[in-house]
Amino acid sequence: MRLWRRIINLFRRERVEAEIDAELRAHLEMAVEDAVRAGVSEEEARRVARVRFGNLQVMRERTVGADAALWVEGLWRDVKYALRQMKKSPGFAVTVVLTLGLGIGGVTAVFSVVYAVLLRPLPYPQASRLVVLHEGIEHFGSKADLSAPDVVTYQRESRAFTGVAGFIDASYDVSGKGEPFRARAERVSAAMFPVLGVKPLMGRTFTQQEDENGVPVAVISYALWKNRFDGSRGVVGETIDLNLRPYTIIGVMPRGFATPSGLGGIAPHDLWVPLSLTPAEKAAEADNMDYGAVARLKPGVTMQQARQDAARVLEIVQARVPGARLSISLRGLKEQTVAEARPLLRTLMGAVVLILLIACANLANLLLVRAAGRRREFGVRMALGAARKTLLRQLLIEALVLSVTGGAVGMGLAALAVRWGAGTLPNSLPRMHTVSIDWPVVLLAMGLVCATGLVCGLAPALASAKAEVMDSMREGGQATGQGRSQNRLRNALVVAEVALAMLLLVSAGLLLRSFARMLGTNPGFRPEHVVTAFVGLPKESYPTQEKVDEFLQNLRERVGELPGVRAVGFASNIPVVGRNSSRLFAAQGYVRQVGEEYSMASNYLTAGEYFRALGIPLIEGRYFNAADDLPGAPLVVIISQSLARKYFAGRDPLGTHIKVGPSYQNAMPKMTVVGVVGDVSDNPLDKKQDVAMYEPVSQAAADLGHYARMIGVVGSIHAVVRTEGDPRALEREFTQAVHQADPLLAVTDLRTMGQVVAATEAPRRFNTWVLTSFAGIALALALLGIYGVLAYSVAERMREIAIRIALGATRADVQWRTLRQAMALGATGVLAGLAAAMVLTRYLASLLYKVRPLDGFTLAAAVMILLACAALAGWVPARRAASVDPMRVLRME
Amino acid sequence: MARNDLQGSLDLLVLKTLSQRGKLHGYGIVLHIQRASDDLLRVEEGSLYPALHRMENSGWIGSEWALTETGRRAKYYRLTAAGRRRLRQAEGDFEELVKGVQAVMRYS
Repeated sequence: MRLWRRIINLFRRERVEAEIDAELRAHLEMAVEDAVRAGVSEEEARRVARVRFGNLQVMRERTVGADAALWVEGLWRDVKYALRQMKKSPGFAVTVVLTLGLGIGGVTAVFSVVYAVLLRPLPYPQASRLVVLHEGIEHFGSKADLSAPDVVTYQRESRAFTGVAGFIDASYDVSGKGEPFRARAERVSAAMFPVLGVKPLMGRTFTQQEDENGVPVAVISYALWKNRFDGSRGVVGETIDLNLRPYTIIGVMPRGFATPSGLGGIAPHDLWVPLSLTPAEKAAEADNMDYGAVARLKPGVTMQQARQDAARVLEIVQARVPGARLSISLRGLKEQTVAEARPLLRTLMGAVVLILLIACANLANLLLVRAAGRRREFGVRMALGAARKTLLRQLLIEALVLSVTGGAVGMGLAALAVRWGAGTLPNSLPRMHTVSIDWPVVLLAMGLVCATGLVCGLAPALASAKAEVMDSMREGGQATGQGRSQNRLRNALVVAEVALAMLLLVSAGLLLRSFARMLGTNPGFRPEHVVTAFVGLPKESYPTQEKVDEFLQNLRERVGELPGVRAVGFASNIPVVGRNSSRLFAAQGYVRQVGEEYSMASNYLTAGEYFRALGIPLIEGRYFNAADDLPGAPLVVIISQSLARKYFAGRDPLGTHIKVGPSYQNAMPKMTVVGVVGDVSDNPLDKKQDVAMYEPVSQAAADLGHYARMIGVVGSIHAVVRTEGDPRALEREFTQAVHQADPLLAVTDLRTMGQVVAATEAPRRFNTWVLTSFAGIALALALLGIYGVLAYSVAERMREIAIRIALGATRADVQWRTLRQAMALGATGVLAGLAAAMVLTRYLASLLYKVRPLDGFTLAAAVMILLACAALAGWVPARRAASVDPMRVLRME
Repeated sequence: MARNDLQGSLDLLVLKTLSQRGKLHGYGIVLHIQRASDDLLRVEEGSLYPALHRMENSGWIGSEWALTETGRRAKYYRLTAAGRRRLRQAEGDFEELVKGVQAVMRYS
């Protein structure tokens, strides 16, 4: 009510003033009337009344002040004044606003990502109660997921959870209505939805019955519902063909619903089908540890109690597999979701904080310089009676107006950056699909803006409030005396800026070097002129391996006849993408050290001319040939050079044997090594690479002996085709060839190998790009900082310089003195930055590839660049100092 | 502790006057205080009007324009409910002040 009145009064100041005038005049008149009635002359009465009233104007002001909430209006006046000041010195205003915009924009954009990935709660009720189960086997390096029977055991036996849900990523060819496509699906236990605590948008989710009996039902995602079923209400009850088998759609999940995924973290899927473990899957104990398990803690159960409970269940599991020593570990779902992205996000946050610090230092410096330059103005105003408080407030408001403008620019930049970034950021960041500018982010940014304005505005404001009126007037506005301590502060700020920029520059340099190293890494094959595609053969029409082999043979012939095609091959995986499956193996004659992990190799099941198509060089022996595919042919294997080096050190591997499984003493069939090929990167080039072994698809089942059932039919296959010309040109013809062989098949992931390799470089390309642009911004800000200080110091010392020149100093002298000052600032900053880099770059180690955190080349380059920038920043003021005309400057005094 | 400043006593005087006399304009308030205090207290116009407007903004008093007995337009003030509460508080404060001052004066 009061506030409202004051606000209204603001808009009616004139009316309020008129009213007060009338009120006061009435008072005066009444007093005069009374006096006249008492016998005083009207003239005398008026005089007395006036005297009593004092200064009518002052009184009116005070009354209005009580009325109109003067401080609010004063605030507005100060804001207008600040805007006018900005217009008067646009260079200063633009510099400050850009400095802040870049700083705040960067912080907001990066924080939006960090918020979405790390801080935002998972989209489930009470997500902190969700845990993920991992099993481990002694002598295996990494924590594995669970095997299918173990999932069942934990579901049945554990008591600490409201439910345990198993899941495994799957993909299905969707056919029937509309264009065939490959759906990213997930097989999940019926418990999945209750455990996560998410209800379907419509319809229902699986029942335990449906899960156990393998009923073909599916729950689809909001996106699939919208895109393929046009958001029709009648979708529940419709059927959808997955791998040619009809599934009944029973439910639609709400928008943005994501489930825990095998890749770690949570991911959106197109659809979910019941896990419905097959008898074969249930029998595969201590192998096939591919199933994830997520569970919700019962109310009141602590993580510690859950661990004890899981350990109890583990004993039951352990009893089934006497050979191996198992372990179980529990981890928060959230913890697991963000673990992988943490180093990158920490680095980004660190970089952004550095940028913001630099921006603040710059802002403080600019405001200090400006306040010093305006000392005379303030001196005059204080001499004319302006209250110190008013001037302080005004300075503060100027700083705030600048900050808010900078903040607005920054938010605009952030909005652009987030929109752009959502499409560009690497998919390895979990929950990337949810990034947007959120309210918490906006609030944080606004807080930063205000804090920056207050801190940076307060320092110069306090400094100039101390200014003695007479001092500033006497010095003729030159402000030389005030100098020392303020100059020292400004120099310190610039040195800090340079040091921070140095730190960023070194970090960016290290990442750039890593990136160059990655690009320079030989992937072990020749990606040029190769096109690749994925073909999934549904079990329903390709029930046996013979059928699959027949199809591959057919396709190979068709594609081989296309013009320009040099070689056609197939494999269960393609290199570089890091989705290779790995396998336990035992090499003949290799003795495992005590405590050494089991031998693991990436395994590729190949057909056709896989090696020739990818250009993988043969070191010794031979490639696979048609004779290996004949029924009853001896089992053969080709190994990678690094496998040969490690497991057949000093021996000729050709003709020796390898078995699948942990020990060579077991009853598995022997595979004869017939060839050694060059090492191929099976993970992205900057990751650790595994040793590899290759087997013909046609022998895949036989290699596993009596476990053959487990592998089933290898019907998911990647094709690689080498051509003479442009591989892109081949893509359409390849698809046609597939459709001629089987019109119902979907061809997916049709890309050139060049694209495949480039895609795996994308995350590093992104990191490098971001950090390099941060370093660029930092460099620009530092440059501005040095320039600002020197330009000011030259302007301030104009008279001194003029006298020097008049007394015979050469212009080269003067120029060199100024330049030397710039270099001194730069060099001090560089030294400080170098010291900081020595300590801090080690935290980058996990992001580096083949570069040490203290890479001499990078450090040297950063030093050179910064010194060059310091020289550049000093050059312009130095020139100005040298071009001083002594007569003109001195005459102006 | 009570708020015992001069402004407080001016507020008290104005509020008390309005509670005793109902509707009154600024000039009337000055006259009343002067008369009631046997010319001991003279309220300065320079303090009165800012105080009136401040109290009006605080919601303690309301105002309206009306004609005086001599047919002049003047702004009349009257006490609001909030003003009455404020008055009671101010009276209490004032009594405490007086007691406190007396106690100090009598201290030996």
